[in-house]
Amino acid sequence: MSSTVIAAPLLERRYARLGALLIAPTIVVFSLVIVYPLLAAIYLSVFSIYTPTLEGEFVGIDNYIQLFTEPAFWQSLWTTLIWTVGTLSLQIVFGVGLALLLHQNLWFRSLARSLVLFPYFVSTVVAVLVWRWLFNDLYGAVNHGLMQLGITDMPVDWLGSMPNAMIGVILVGAWKYFPFVVIAVLARLQTIPDHLYEAAKIDGAGPISRFWDVTLPQLRSVLVVIILLRAIWDFKEFDLIFLLTGGGPVTSTQTLPLLVYQEAFALNNMGQAAAYSVGMMLVMLVFMLIYIRRTRRES
Amino acid sequence: MSLKNVLSAGVDRRSVLAGMAASGAAAAIPRRLRAQEQITLRWWSPQSSPEQLAAYETQIRNFEAQHENVRVVFERTSDEGYAPQLAAAFASGEVPNVVTHLPSFAVSNYWRNGLLEPFNDVIEMIGPEKFYDGANQIYEVDPGQYAGTGIGNSAANMMWLRTDLMEQAGIEAAPRTWDEMLAAVAAMQGGGIFGAPLPYGRNSMTSLIFIGVIHQAGGQVFSPDLQVAIDSDETRDALEFYRAMREFCPPGATNYSWGDSLTAFVSGACATGIYTGRVLINVATQNPGIADHVTCELYPTKSADIAPWTFNDFPSVFIPRAADNMEATKQFAAFLFDPEGYIQQLHAAPGHVLPVLSTIADDPAYQANPIIERYSDEVSKMASAAAGGFNLGWESTAHQPNAKAGEIINSNVISEMVQRIVLNDENADQVLGETTARIEEIMTT
Amino acid sequence: MPFLRKLAFNLFTWSLVLLIAFPLFWMIVTSLKPQTELFRIPPTWLPETVTFEHYARLLFDTPFLLYFRNSVVLATTTTIFVVLLGTVGAYSLVRFKYRGRDTLAMLVLFTYLLPSVVLIIPLYLMMVELGLSNTLTSLVLAHTTFALPYALWLLRSFMEGVPEDLESAALVDGATRLGAFKDVILPQLLPGIISTALFTFILSWNEYLYALVLVNSDSARPLTTGVMTMLISAFNIEWSLLMAASVMMSLPLIIVFAFLQSYLTRGFGAGGVKG
Repeated sequence: MSSTVIAAPLLERRYARLGALLIAPTIVVFSLVIVYPLLAAIYLSVFSIYTPTLEGEFVGIDNYIQLFTEPAFWQSLWTTLIWTVGTLSLQIVFGVGLALLLHQNLWFRSLARSLVLFPYFVSTVVAVLVWRWLFNDLYGAVNHGLMQLGITDMPVDWLGSMPNAMIGVILVGAWKYFPFVVIAVLARLQTIPDHLYEAAKIDGAGPISRFWDVTLPQLRSVLVVIILLRAIWDFKEFDLIFLLTGGGPVTSTQTLPLLVYQEAFALNNMGQAAAYSVGMMLVMLVFMLIYIRRTRRES
Repeated sequence: MSLKNVLSAGVDRRSVLAGMAASGAAAAIPRRLRAQEQITLRWWSPQSSPEQLAAYETQIRNFEAQHENVRVVFERTSDEGYAPQLAAAFASGEVPNVVTHLPSFAVSNYWRNGLLEPFNDVIEMIGPEKFYDGANQIYEVDPGQYAGTGIGNSAANMMWLRTDLMEQAGIEAAPRTWDEMLAAVAAMQGGGIFGAPLPYGRNSMTSLIFIGVIHQAGGQVFSPDLQVAIDSDETRDALEFYRAMREFCPPGATNYSWGDSLTAFVSGACATGIYTGRVLINVATQNPGIADHVTCELYPTKSADIAPWTFNDFPSVFIPRAADNMEATKQFAAFLFDPEGYIQQLHAAPGHVLPVLSTIADDPAYQANPIIERYSDEVSKMASAAAGGFNLGWESTAHQPNAKAGEIINSNVISEMVQRIVLNDENADQVLGETTARIEEIMTT
Repeated sequence: MPFLRKLAFNLFTWSLVLLIAFPLFWMIVTSLKPQTELFRIPPTWLPETVTFEHYARLLFDTPFLLYFRNSVVLATTTTIFVVLLGTVGAYSLVRFKYRGRDTLAMLVLFTYLLPSVVLIIPLYLMMVELGLSNTLTSLVLAHTTFALPYALWLLRSFMEGVPEDLESAALVDGATRLGAFKDVILPQLLPGIISTALFTFILSWNEYLYALVLVNSDSARPLTTGVMTMLISAFNIEWSLLMAASVMMSLPLIIVFAFLQSYLTRGFGAGGVKG
């Protein structure tokens, strides 16, 4: 920091207090509306609770023992990892790619941007219903288009068999959420100063090395955050997978959030669901800490 | 050990007193309530298409006209939403007065946990002789006490047929046995048309339909005293049949649920269908071209000596025990069956929701509906099938009611079993053993 | 750029865009088809007959407009709330030094890791005790809590991208901390604020699970649960009405974004630091 006149210790402390004041409302809202339910969830996990009445008895760590010894949690965890990594990679790659394209001078650029953001605008429930319709084997447009183009001659079963089901889910997830990456990256691209590119051009750099050497480093800070946020959100995603495949075929697309929902509202076992949630949270926490430590070290 | 300590104590006592007062006056309830302060009744239902909503509004208006101090508010819930919403409502004590159209196993579930008001008074008000025989037996969870009653019947696994395709293929009579069924769909399949739209997905439709197939093989999921009996020769026969039908279903059937199966038949792509009377409504609006060639029958069984088994989820009406203004609530619940409003409600989904009162089914006002008139044979077939129908919560007249049916369906243990054996070719003995163990576990938690 | 390259670039990009937006096209086309054309095999790409009956029915025969109003109020309030708290909080986290600053940022994200399914019933019970159950206010609070961590972290990264020299220069000129914030940092931050506001609005507009459990009466019900519960049940889906409703639910977002587009374009605040 280059401000020499201002950096007196007393002023620092006064500013520190102002800083704390500015973050205070956020903290208040959090303690009120998230911390209590969070503690309640952890509290619930040591009981065996019947969901419709929220009554039950203390069972200590029984729910957690079940979590460790039965395969349900671990299988769902593995499925969740496949889903998250798959859809996140596509979201980032397509997100950055489309942002770069939409940053150029395109004909009717504003319209193109609005259209590209459409998947993110539309509600998940509707999006899934429309995709199920499009994927349908009898009257769906995707199979119809493929057959018209001569790529296949029989309708494909997109969602009912593996590996199609996982691929289908990953693709729809990528389609739905990549615009979030586009928005954030586009906003960042706007503030990269022109002279950096000019300097690189003068040095004789082509478009690809301009991307690697100028754009990407500038995008780095935003991308780090976007990847973290989207990873958390994708990990927790429920609506999309539940409505698209229900976790099937058998349990091959059953991710952890689906397992938690099934335990809480289908099997009416809120205590076990809370235990799975705590387990899920700890897994995400570990990944998050590793990720943050690595990205902090690099910067 | 619950999160609602303070709230629950007060509510329980109040509702017990209210219950005692109401049952004392049950015998001679006057048509009009005594003039009191303004009260509001809340009515929840997951079925609220625009036509149904209009019917509900008629019923509400008529009731409010007769009882000036009562206001009724309809609040819609949904098939996926009602579970968490009611859980939150029961936990906080802010329960609705009347809940309609939930499946019967939800009702027995709540009853077993002491959350519901006995429905006997309301049945008395309606007139028990008006119901179809045995229509209420599924709600008699504890002897002599009714947890609720049905507000409509649905025959959910009727076999739908395209008579024009049957004629083309030279099939003279509707199939009655599985062998006839397999022959019929094989003959009708071709030229872009599939034989049947059976569900093979990991969802509740697959579980519910397959439970029907087990019964159509002469088997059962539970024995009458609720021991798990799914590991049997009959179940293996059912799986064989279901496997044999797979090649006559569209490729996407591996993920079919209710909407997909319905549209597969309605769009004309399948020669047979398996659904409620909703087919008639959708054919009329979406594909009138085949409307003259559609009819229904009971679904075939393995052999002619096995009786058909109809799946009816018995959409219900019940009253939570903690509801306030119990007297007015019961009056309103009974009023739902008042012919003018009830018929309009049934006409909102003609053929799909069928009357539980035989008096209504014979009422000319009920029959004066274009779809019911046009398909009167089909509708009466469905009405009597549904009235004699069953579901996992009550598998036969000999069976005890099963309060855990909902959890078993929602856990997908049965649809997974179907997928593993029929689609993945896993060893049937092993899978059936595991399924039995899982169902037993659910029964004991 | 030579014309042929420009043409190729535009064609390529626009093909991608149209492919991505194809479901929107499908939704619009379907909403204009009469019910008899819905499940035609093979499907028709363009409607044979165009009808606006589904839109008319939706607007005049259902509480759609009421739900619409509720959603607008809900999403706008949440967005304003979140952007205010988030901007100010991000400023605090990046530009001030105090104890526990970094742990605070981590904690904010940490509370975010639990799936909403488990939080929902305790949250509802708390709303009942606060006397807020069944109101839009409870939804604003609920939405704020899951939009705020996102907004905070996103704004934080944008804030880090604003050069410190700007602020120091203003302070040297005698401005107060908050004055410097208003006059110097805010304009630089505008694209970040706009994009955060946009995604918060969308988040709140499309949220389903909390609205499902926390609100029951039509007077406070937003579009998501209103439309879904009205048109989708286990045995039947009212496709035509659903497509019309979905088109109408997406349109405001597209309009809001088109309006905010200009703030995201180059030239606004870029090049603030020379040399």
